[in-house]
Amino acid sequence: MKESLRIEGLRISFPSPSGELVRAVEDAGLTVPPATALGLVGESGCGKTLTGLAVLRLLPPAARLERGRIFLGETDLSELTEAEMRAVRGEQVAMIFQEPMTSLNPVYRVGDQVVEAIRAHRRLSFASARHLALDLLDRVGIRRPRERYQAYPHQLSGGQRQRVMIATALSCSPRFLIADEPTTALDVTVQARILELIASLRERERMGILLITHDLGIVAGETDRVAVMYLGRMVEEGATRDVFARPLHPYARALLRSVPRLGQGRRRLEAIRGNVPTPALRPSGCPFHPRCPLMIPVCRREIPPLKVYESGHRCACFRAGEEAT
Amino acid sequence: MKRIAVPGRASPPPPAAEPGVWRRLGRSPAARISLAVIVFYLLLAAWGCSGWELPDWRTVNYARAYQGPSPAHPFGTDIHGRDVLAKTVIGARTALTVAFLASVLAVAIGLILGLLAGYLGGAVDGIITWVYSTLESVPYYLLILAFAFVLQDRSINLWGMEFRLEGINAVYLALGLTGWVGLCRLIRGEVIKRREGEYVLAARSLGASPLRVMFRHLAPNVLHVVIVTFTLGFVSYIHAEVVLSFLGLGAKEVPSWGVMIDESKLELARGVWWQLLAASLAIFGISLALHVFGDALRDALDPRTRGTKR
Amino acid sequence: MRRFLVKRLLYCIPVLFGISLLTFLLFRVVGGDPVDRLAGKYARAEQKEQLREQLGFNLPLWPRPELLLAGDLGNFADNQLFHHLFDTFTFRFGRSQQYHRRISAMILSGLVPSLSLTLPAFLLGLFLQTALALLSASRRGSRFDRLLTLACLVGMSFPFLALIIFGQSLLAGRFGWFPILGFPEKFGLGVLTHTALPVLLGLVAGLGGGVRFYRTILIEEAESDYVRTARAKGLKESRVLFGHVLKNAMIPIITRTVVVIPFLFLGSLLLERFFSIPGLGYMLVDAVNSSDWPVINALTFVGAVFYLGAVVLTDVLYALVDPRVSLK
Repeated sequence: MKESLRIEGLRISFPSPSGELVRAVEDAGLTVPPATALGLVGESGCGKTLTGLAVLRLLPPAARLERGRIFLGETDLSELTEAEMRAVRGEQVAMIFQEPMTSLNPVYRVGDQVVEAIRAHRRLSFASARHLALDLLDRVGIRRPRERYQAYPHQLSGGQRQRVMIATALSCSPRFLIADEPTTALDVTVQARILELIASLRERERMGILLITHDLGIVAGETDRVAVMYLGRMVEEGATRDVFARPLHPYARALLRSVPRLGQGRRRLEAIRGNVPTPALRPSGCPFHPRCPLMIPVCRREIPPLKVYESGHRCACFRAGEEAT
Repeated sequence: MKRIAVPGRASPPPPAAEPGVWRRLGRSPAARISLAVIVFYLLLAAWGCSGWELPDWRTVNYARAYQGPSPAHPFGTDIHGRDVLAKTVIGARTALTVAFLASVLAVAIGLILGLLAGYLGGAVDGIITWVYSTLESVPYYLLILAFAFVLQDRSINLWGMEFRLEGINAVYLALGLTGWVGLCRLIRGEVIKRREGEYVLAARSLGASPLRVMFRHLAPNVLHVVIVTFTLGFVSYIHAEVVLSFLGLGAKEVPSWGVMIDESKLELARGVWWQLLAASLAIFGISLALHVFGDALRDALDPRTRGTKR
Repeated sequence: MRRFLVKRLLYCIPVLFGISLLTFLLFRVVGGDPVDRLAGKYARAEQKEQLREQLGFNLPLWPRPELLLAGDLGNFADNQLFHHLFDTFTFRFGRSQQYHRRISAMILSGLVPSLSLTLPAFLLGLFLQTALALLSASRRGSRFDRLLTLACLVGMSFPFLALIIFGQSLLAGRFGWFPILGFPEKFGLGVLTHTALPVLLGLVAGLGGGVRFYRTILIEEAESDYVRTARAKGLKESRVLFGHVLKNAMIPIITRTVVVIPFLFLGSLLLERFFSIPGLGYMLVDAVNSSDWPVINALTFVGAVFYLGAVVLTDVLYALVDPRVSLK
C-alpha cells in the first residue's frame, strides 16, 4: 500500500553483559495504513519499544539493527543517510515517549522546545515559529497557552507535559506518529484525556499512529488494528475488532482472557502459566511453546510462519484458531 | 549475642556480596593486569622488608657516587654512592605502608562517623557534619601540611607508653586524620538513603539496638562504597606522602620516593637523571595500576550497571 | 534571594569558628610552646619570660569556668583561646615570626603572583578540558575516545612533582625556551614569560582528572531521555550536542568548578616553590620550613574563608543556572 508505514523482517540484537549477542527482536513486521491507528501490544520486554525506535533509527547505541526494512510509502528508511533520516524525523514521522518528565529538557522553557522542533524543518522566523507554537499548544488542549509557553517542564503536570510532547510531535504535521506508552506514566483520568486527544488529532490531521502499549484496554478503545508481539516475534495481527472477537493465537487468546471485563460476572482470572523467558534463553521453535496449552511436537522444532487468514488477519501458529480442550 | 532473624521478604544482598560481582571483575582484562601490577608492588615492598639479596641502601661509598646504570647498580647510584635500586624498592615499602596505614585509619574513622551521623541524625549528625565541613574547608595540601608540621617530633602518651612521632609516623597520622572526610560524607549519604529501608525497619521492630542495626545491617550494605574509596584513596595517599617527604615533613630516616625526587633536583643540574626516573616510574606504575583497578572495581560494584544483567 | 544568601552565610559561621578552633588546637595545644624555639638556645630564663608575656603565651590556654561563675568576666576572657578566636575573626594575624612583617600585608602582596599563575591555568584548563571531554563523549567508543581516556589515566598517575622537575630542567634549563624561575617586581610583560612554563605544566597536570570528570558528566547527560527526544525531532547532531547535552552538563560542571576557585588564591604550592614565584603557596611552604606558625595559621583561616565563599557562590550560581532549583 502506498503511503503506509511498513516494517518487514526486523531483527535487533544486543550484546549481553557476558558478551554474547541476544536477539531482542526477531523477524518482526507490521503495517500501519495511513490515517489508521495500529496498536503494538505485548508484555514488557517483548521488543515493542525497540521496534518503534528502529523506525526512526533511534536505537540505543549498544543495540544493533541486523536485518530489516522499514518502508515509508515507497522509501526504504533503512537505506537513507543520516542527514536524510534527520529530515524524516519530526517531519514525516514523529515519536513521543513514555516519560514526559525526563523526555523534555529541564532547562528550556516548554514553548521554546516546541519552537525548536518547528525550526528544525521549517524556515520560519522566531516570531512566526513562536506564533505557531502557541497555536499548537492551544490545539493540544493546554489552557492559557501564553503563560504555559514560558513554563519549565517541572512546573507542569504530567498530563500537560505529555500534551507539550504531542504538540512538539505535531509541529510539522507528520504523516505518522509513533507513541511509545504515552499514558503509562500518567494517572488514569489523565490517560483518558490524552488518548482522546490523540484520537481527535488522528481524525483531524489524518495521521497514522503506531500506538505501543501493554494495556489491552487502550488497544480496545483506541485502535483500528492491532499487532501482538511475544518475545520479539509477531504472533498475530489484524483488525482490532476481529482479533478481540476471535483471537487466533493461543497467546493472544490467553492475554484477552486474563483481562477482567465489565459485565462478565464473577469469573476467575486466568493467568498464563509460566513466565516470559529472557531473550537470552530463547526457546527453540515457537517462542510461546513452553507455556502454550495447545503445544504439539512440531512447535518445539519449527518456527510457525505468519499466515494470512480472512481479511488481513494474520497469525503465526500451527494450530491457529483452535480452542484448548 | 542473640541472633535476630529478620522475617518476611528477604532483603537484597549487599552490593559487595552479590555473587556476579567478583566474577565480572575477574573477566575484565584491565582489572587483571592492574591487579597483577599491584601484587608486583606488594612483592617489591616485601622484598624491601626482608632485604634479601638487596644491596644495603645505607652503604655510603663516595668513590662510586653518581654512577649511571650498570650491572652492579641497575639504577645507578646517588650522590652518596647509595644504590638507587635499593632505595626504590624500600621506597615501595615506605609508600605502601604509609598509604595502607593512613587508609585504614581514615576508613575506620570515616565509616564509623558516617554510620553514626547518617543513622542517628539529630545532634550527633550536626556535630559530625560540622567537624567534617570544617576540615573540608581547608585546602587539602594545606591541611595535611599543617597536621604533619604540628605532629612532627611529638610524643604522645598512650596507656603509659610513650610513642615518639618521627617523620614517617607523623605522616600516617596526618593523612589518616584528614582523609576520612570524603568517605564519611559518602557513607552518611548512603545510610540516610537506606535507613528507612525495609530490612532496617524489620530489625528495629524486633528490638535491635541502634548499634546492631548500624553494624550488622547497614554497614555491609555500604561496603561497596568503602572498597572503592579505599582503593582510590590509596593513590592519593601515595602522592601525598611523596609531596610531604619532598617538603621535608615526611620520611627522613627511610628512603622514600619523595626524598629521592628531592635529591634529584640538584642531581639534574649535573646531568644525573636516573634517580628521578626511577622514583617517577615507580610512582607512576602503582598509581596507574590503582586507578585502573579502582575504576574496574567501581564498575563491577555499581548498582546501576549491575542491573543490566537481564 | 536575600534570605537564601543570609541563610547560607550564617551557616558559614560555625564552620569558621571550627576552623579557628582547629588552628588553635593544632598550633597552640598540640604544637606547644614555641618560645623556646623562638628565643634561641642562649636566651636567659627571664628573657624567655618576657617574650612569653609579649606574645601572650603566659595566659592560660583555656577559659576557666570558675572565673565566670565568680563574675570575674575580665579575667575569664583573658585566655589564649578567646584571644585567638577574636584575632582570627578580625583578621588580626600578627606578624610573621620569620620576617617580622605584618601577615595581612604579606597576604595581600602574595595574592597577585598567585593569581597570575592560577587564573590563566584555570580558565585555559576549563576551556580545554571541556572541549576535549565533549569530543570524547560525542565519539564514545571510538579510538580517539579510548586513547584519550588512557591518556587521562596516565596524566593522573604521573607524579606532578616529577613533571615539574622534568619540565623545568628540560624546557627551561636545557632548551632555554623559558626563564627558569623568578617573577618580575613590577607587574608588566615580564609576568607572561615567567608564568608561561608553570601555567603550561599546571595545565598538563590537571588535564587528566578534569577531562575524565567532565566526560563522565557529559556521557551521563547524553544518555538522557530528552536527548532522545531532541534527536526524534530531527535536530542536527551539533545542536543536540551543544544545545542539549552541553547545556545541561554545564550545571554540574560549573558548580564543581567554582569550588576550585579558592585554591586559585593559594596558588600551587609546588609550582610557586619551584619557580620562585612569591605567591601565597610559596609563603606557605616557606612558613612550614621555618616553623612560622602565625603565617600557617593565617593562611589556613584565609583559605577556609575563600573556600566557604566559593561554596556559597556555588549554591547561588546553581540556583540561577538550574531552573529546577528555587531559592528558598
